[in-house]
Amino acid sequence: MFKTILIRCLQILPSLFVVVTLTFILTRMIPGDPARAVLGPQASVQDVQKMRETMGLDQPLVSQYKDYMIQIAKGDFGVSYSYNQPVLGLIAKRIPNTLLLAFPSILIALIAGLLIGVTSAVRQGTLVDYLFMILALVGVSMPIFWLGLMLVLVFSVHLGWLPVLGMGSMSSGIGDVIRHMVLPCFCLATIPTATFSRITRSSILESIHGDSIRALRARGIRESVVIWKYALKSALPPVITVLGLQLAGCFAGAILTETIFAWPGMGTLIVGAIDNRDYALIQGAVLVIALAFVIINMLVDVVYMIINPNVSYEGGF
Amino acid sequence: MKKRILAAIAALAATAVLSACGSEKPASTVAATEKASTAQETAKEEKTPGEPVSGGVLTISLSSSPKNLDPVKYTGTYESQIIGTVCDTLVEYNTELTEIQPGLAKSWKVSDDGRAYTFTLRDDVYFQPGKFQEGRKMTAEDVKYSLERSRKLSAMNRLDMLDHCEAVSDTELVCYLAEPNAVFLTALTDAGNVIVPKEEVEGWGDDFGTHLVGTGPFALESFELDQQAVLKRNDKYWAAKPYLDGVTFKPVSDGNQAVNALRTGEINLATSLSGEAVKIAREDQSVKLLETPGLHVAYIYFNQKNGPTADIKVREAIIKAVNVDELTAGVYQYNEAKPASLPLPPGSWGYDSSLEAEKPAYDPEGAKKLLAEAGYPDGFDLNIYISNTEARIKMATLFQAYLKQNLNINVNINTSEWGAFSEIASSGKADVFAMSWTWYPDPYFFLNKLFHSSSIGSLGNGQGFENKEVDQYLDEALLTTDQAKRAEIYKKALAVIVKQYPGIFYANENVNWGVSSNVQGLTQRADGKVKICTPDINVWLSK
Repeated sequence: MFKTILIRCLQILPSLFVVVTLTFILTRMIPGDPARAVLGPQASVQDVQKMRETMGLDQPLVSQYKDYMIQIAKGDFGVSYSYNQPVLGLIAKRIPNTLLLAFPSILIALIAGLLIGVTSAVRQGTLVDYLFMILALVGVSMPIFWLGLMLVLVFSVHLGWLPVLGMGSMSSGIGDVIRHMVLPCFCLATIPTATFSRITRSSILESIHGDSIRALRARGIRESVVIWKYALKSALPPVITVLGLQLAGCFAGAILTETIFAWPGMGTLIVGAIDNRDYALIQGAVLVIALAFVIINMLVDVVYMIINPNVSYEGGF
Repeated sequence: MKKRILAAIAALAATAVLSACGSEKPASTVAATEKASTAQETAKEEKTPGEPVSGGVLTISLSSSPKNLDPVKYTGTYESQIIGTVCDTLVEYNTELTEIQPGLAKSWKVSDDGRAYTFTLRDDVYFQPGKFQEGRKMTAEDVKYSLERSRKLSAMNRLDMLDHCEAVSDTELVCYLAEPNAVFLTALTDAGNVIVPKEEVEGWGDDFGTHLVGTGPFALESFELDQQAVLKRNDKYWAAKPYLDGVTFKPVSDGNQAVNALRTGEINLATSLSGEAVKIAREDQSVKLLETPGLHVAYIYFNQKNGPTADIKVREAIIKAVNVDELTAGVYQYNEAKPASLPLPPGSWGYDSSLEAEKPAYDPEGAKKLLAEAGYPDGFDLNIYISNTEARIKMATLFQAYLKQNLNINVNINTSEWGAFSEIASSGKADVFAMSWTWYPDPYFFLNKLFHSSSIGSLGNGQGFENKEVDQYLDEALLTTDQAKRAEIYKKALAVIVKQYPGIFYANENVNWGVSSNVQGLTQRADGKVKICTPDINVWLSK
């Protein structure tokens, strides 16, 4: 297993190289001039030209690419044009905010999704099953923007229980931060809950009709133990795959939720960077997210090996 | 592994697509920042019930997140609101925006050749205490330092007419211009040209953008990027002692959420409301909606050099084929704007209402005839470029319908986000594009930017408008500092421009603010600047 992990670690480098190169090319392919974006609509032709020179955009693309790769190799992600601050610092400030919202949401979604999925599977074909699956369908198809605004109207504007926006501040106590987290977390958890419950349901259904579960039942083991201990365990791999993707996705932030609740996370940072054609910031953010993706996917594979030792990646990649 | 990379790329692509669809560029940026205003338009004065009381913190929402508060580095309206509250300028526009009034300068004289401005400064102005000075007195040297710094470092060239300054004494300063330039005083009102202390600027270096110090009514206590800027009262403010204990600015990019936060009292003042948010604010009893006609023009600009619209007859035909009143009512269904006629907002002192009659009236039959005369009896295909905001999309759809129905012109609507839009619009390759413009009340900031040949290639004159007579008038208007004379020259320029049928100038948007009912003493200006404490204004919160 150790060897596998080592190989996977080495595979990270070429992946990141491809990501950096692709992002470099793609950002330059989007129409829109970073100098003009920074200076705004009123800028004169001369101002734009001067800014392009300051940004080094008048250099040939190849030399820009070369400079950028050397910079990255030294661990320097450059300076954001729009913020006038080092890219790495900006990302480092946003990631904790994003994770503060994302991890609790995923955890809630995982627990709720497993409970709903297992219950539905066990009661397949009953009213409860239909009800849960309809709810899951609604959850998956719910426009988050609309859901967020509705939650605010009910819980903030009419009932006055929860704040409308912002992140709260630790100086007002942990309670303030938690109060600010409730609505955005609910929004963020909606779709993953629905996804987890549907996957869990189908996966459990598959396993409880299998021979091993039938054998367990035949041995007279209590049904709840059969379901929660054995059936769930064999049904877990697809859930973990999705969980891995969801966790990795967390690092990219939640654009809509963060926008609605004015939550300063990665999502709004990246959208702002794209709007402003802030090349250094887009490239830096993509690289960090890509890194999160490859590392989490590697961890998922390791978890697979732990829960199911029969899975082997030797030579598989 | 391949799948993983593909998944990562797909996720990023989705991010980019989502951002392109969902990110509405703040109105201020789309419309070219706030610095606009109206002359005789009514500035709303709120009734102030009872005697003013001290205390409380006013929370203001900004449509986008302020990034850098260094005056020479700021680029957005939302940043200038904070800078303008922490710092002062030498001179200021009055509330009605009809004339320039004293600020840190008590008075000024202009030399006969229009190249030397001598300012007499107040001698009771102190900087807010900071890390590198303890609240010392402001002198002419500080003004010299700040203005020359802006001249050298401002990416936006906010003071490019300045050559150098000379501090004659602690309270007297002469600014020398390279050439006579009548908009110098207007340029001094920009938040980019506020007066800052050298020790703080140099002490903080690049971090001055998050540790701004000035002479204004409120001092910056903390600046948490993308979360809030917290300001506290400056007890030594020269104009008055502010009633408020402090002011907090928070970025809220979603307009509906800004109104929701107003309703719950989380914020007290929401700037830049538009669309449905205006309606909600108007109908909700707990919120006051303040509306003032802004210094804003929304327009459709025809390509002057290439394609069918290079022909003046085609341009006139298209203008005649569009019912502007109906179009504006359709786009701004909550009365957030008034139909316009000219490429200058009625609030600018260069506006000439007699020219409104020059705009061709809605006349589909006449339009058809003109188009046939121009050699297009069966119409043609036309591309319109717009940024992806709701108002612009509605407008383009109506424009498309008018042109199809009245002239059999097939309009293709090309929507993109702001960056891509501004590139095509400034390139001169768009058949037609639509955007809006807002800036100072001085006509220079509209007419020179949109119609002077030297602006070709910038977004303002992206369609290549070029007319020697117009250039001459616009240059001439910069040589005299007499506002009345300048207004006359701009009116002549405007008359020539209007007869060239450069585009359809269809709407003047309001400045819309939502205010919670406990905010008193607030005056709304047509340039959208929030003034909290000045010699005439002192905002307070009733209990």
